[in-house]
Amino acid sequence: MLHYDFMQRAFGAGALIAIVASVLGVYLMLRRQALMADMLSHVSLAGVAAGALLGLSPTVSGFLTAIVGAVAVEYVRRFYKTYSEMSIAIIMVGGLSTAVVLMSLNKETSKSFTSYLFGSVVAVDKAQLVLMLCVTVVAALFFFFLRRPLYQMTFDEETAKVSGLPTGLISMLFSVVTGMIVAAAMPIVGVLLVSSLIILPAALAIRLTSRFSAALLLAVVIGLTGVFSGLTASYELSTPPGGTIALVLLFLLAVGVVVQKLVRFIRAKTKHSAAEDTEMHSYGPIPRLSDDTHTH
Amino acid sequence: MLLASLKEVEFGYNDKPSLHNATIEVRSSEFVAVTGPNGASKTTLLKLMLGLVKPWKGKAYLAPKREDGRKLTVGYVPQQIAAFNGGFPSNVHEFVLSGCWNRGSWLRRITADDRALAEKSLRQVGMWQLRERRIGELSGGQKQRICIARALAQRPDLLVMDEPTTGMDEESRKGFYELMRHMVEIHGMSIVMVTHGLEECRPYLDRIIELERKGEGGWKCCTTTLCNEHSEPVL
Repeated sequence: MLHYDFMQRAFGAGALIAIVASVLGVYLMLRRQALMADMLSHVSLAGVAAGALLGLSPTVSGFLTAIVGAVAVEYVRRFYKTYSEMSIAIIMVGGLSTAVVLMSLNKETSKSFTSYLFGSVVAVDKAQLVLMLCVTVVAALFFFFLRRPLYQMTFDEETAKVSGLPTGLISMLFSVVTGMIVAAAMPIVGVLLVSSLIILPAALAIRLTSRFSAALLLAVVIGLTGVFSGLTASYELSTPPGGTIALVLLFLLAVGVVVQKLVRFIRAKTKHSAAEDTEMHSYGPIPRLSDDTHTH
Repeated sequence: MLLASLKEVEFGYNDKPSLHNATIEVRSSEFVAVTGPNGASKTTLLKLMLGLVKPWKGKAYLAPKREDGRKLTVGYVPQQIAAFNGGFPSNVHEFVLSGCWNRGSWLRRITADDRALAEKSLRQVGMWQLRERRIGELSGGQKQRICIARALAQRPDLLVMDEPTTGMDEESRKGFYELMRHMVEIHGMSIVMVTHGLEECRPYLDRIIELERKGEGGWKCCTTTLCNEHSEPVL
C-alpha cells in the first residue's frame, strides 16, 4: 500500500492534520465551539466553489474563505455574547447557501466537488501537502507558545482578561488558526466529516485524563490512530477515506467510553477502599490562621 | 495609593439604568465589602471597576502600575456556580498552579517558588489533600476554594471576588475572612468582595460599599468607613 505515491502523501498529510486537528479539538470542545469546524468547512466549500467558477485554485480560495469565515464568526460571537452558538449558525447558513448557489452555476466541476464533500486519498497533491505542512508548523507554534494563555482563556475568558491577557487578539488568532486547519484537512476527510477529525479524538481524550497536557497528547495519539487505521481500511475496502476515518474514530470513542465505565465499575466493586474514603473526607474547612503553620 | 475607582458612573442594561452616579475608590492594603440586595448591580459594579464593561457616563479607572512602577496585577474570582467549566480536564494542583503563570512572561519556566506558592495557597484554603482530584468532580464549595487558591497563587495587588463564600460552611467562612485579613496586613493586598454575609465579615473589613435604591434611576453607592482596629495582625 505504501509503495504508491498517493498513499504516502495521504499518510503524510493525514498525520500532519491529525496532530494539529486533535489539539484544536480539545480547545474547541472546552470553549463550547464544537460546531465551529463544521461551520468553517461549509464556508470553505463556498470558497472552493467560487475558485472553480472564477478559474482560481479551489484549494487557495477555499483556504482563504475559511480564514475569512473564522474572523467573521469571531466578530459575530462578540455581538451575540450570551448565545455564541448563534454566530456559528448564522455564518454556516451564509457559507452553505453561497456554496450551493455557486456550485449550481458551475455544472462542469460538480464531479470534483464530490471529493471535497467526502474526501479523497488521491485528492492530496504535492501542493496541498506543502500547504498542510505550513499549516501544521504555524498551528503547532501557535499552540506551543500560547499554551498557557489558551488554558486560562479556555477555562474562563473574563478572569483571563482581568489577569492582563489580550483575550480579544488571542481569540481572533485562534479563529484564524481554526480556519487554516479546517481548510487544510478538507481534501482528506471532506467538508461533511472534517469536524469528526477535530472533535472525536478530543471527545475521548478529555474523558480519560485529569491533566490538561495529557488530554492534548492523548487526543493526538487517538487522532493519529484513527487516521492511520481509517486510511488503511479505506485502501483495503475501497471506501471513501473521510467516512472511514470518521467511523474508526467513532468506534474508538465508543470503545473508550465503555472501557472507562468498566474500569470505574470494577474499581468501585473491588477497591472501594478505605484509602479513597479517607482522602475524600480528610479535607476540612478552611483552616483558621491560628491553627495553620503554612500561612507565612 | 489609588488602585481602582468609579467616578459618577452610570450604567444599565438594554437602555434601562441600573447604576446611578456610582462613585467608589479602592486604595492599597484595604479590605472592602460590596453589599446590597439581589439585583442591586453588585457584580456590575465589579465589572465596571475591572474594565470588563464600559460605563455609559462617568469614569472608571484601574491603575496600570504600582507605586514602585511595576505592572499592577489583578486577580478575579467570579461567581463560580454559573461560570465553572466542569468538564475541564485538569486536576486541582494544575489549576491552582496556573495562577502563577501570570507572574511574569507566558513562556518562563515554572520554578520551585511557583510550586511552593501553589502548595501554600492550596493549604491555605484547606484543599491540599484533594490536589490530584479532577476539578469537575469537586463540590460547589470546593470549586469556590480552588478558584480562591488560584487567585492567591497569582499574588495579585488587587483581588476582586464575587460572593466568594458561596457554598462554604461557617467554619470555612471564618477561616476565609481571617486569611483575607492576613493578605491585606502581611502582603499588602487590596481586596474587594461582594457579600451577603456582612455581619459575619464586618470585624475584618476596612470599608463597606452599600448599594441603595435610587428611585427609577437605578442603584447608588453609599460608602461606610469602619473604625476597626487592625493595627495588630491576626497572626
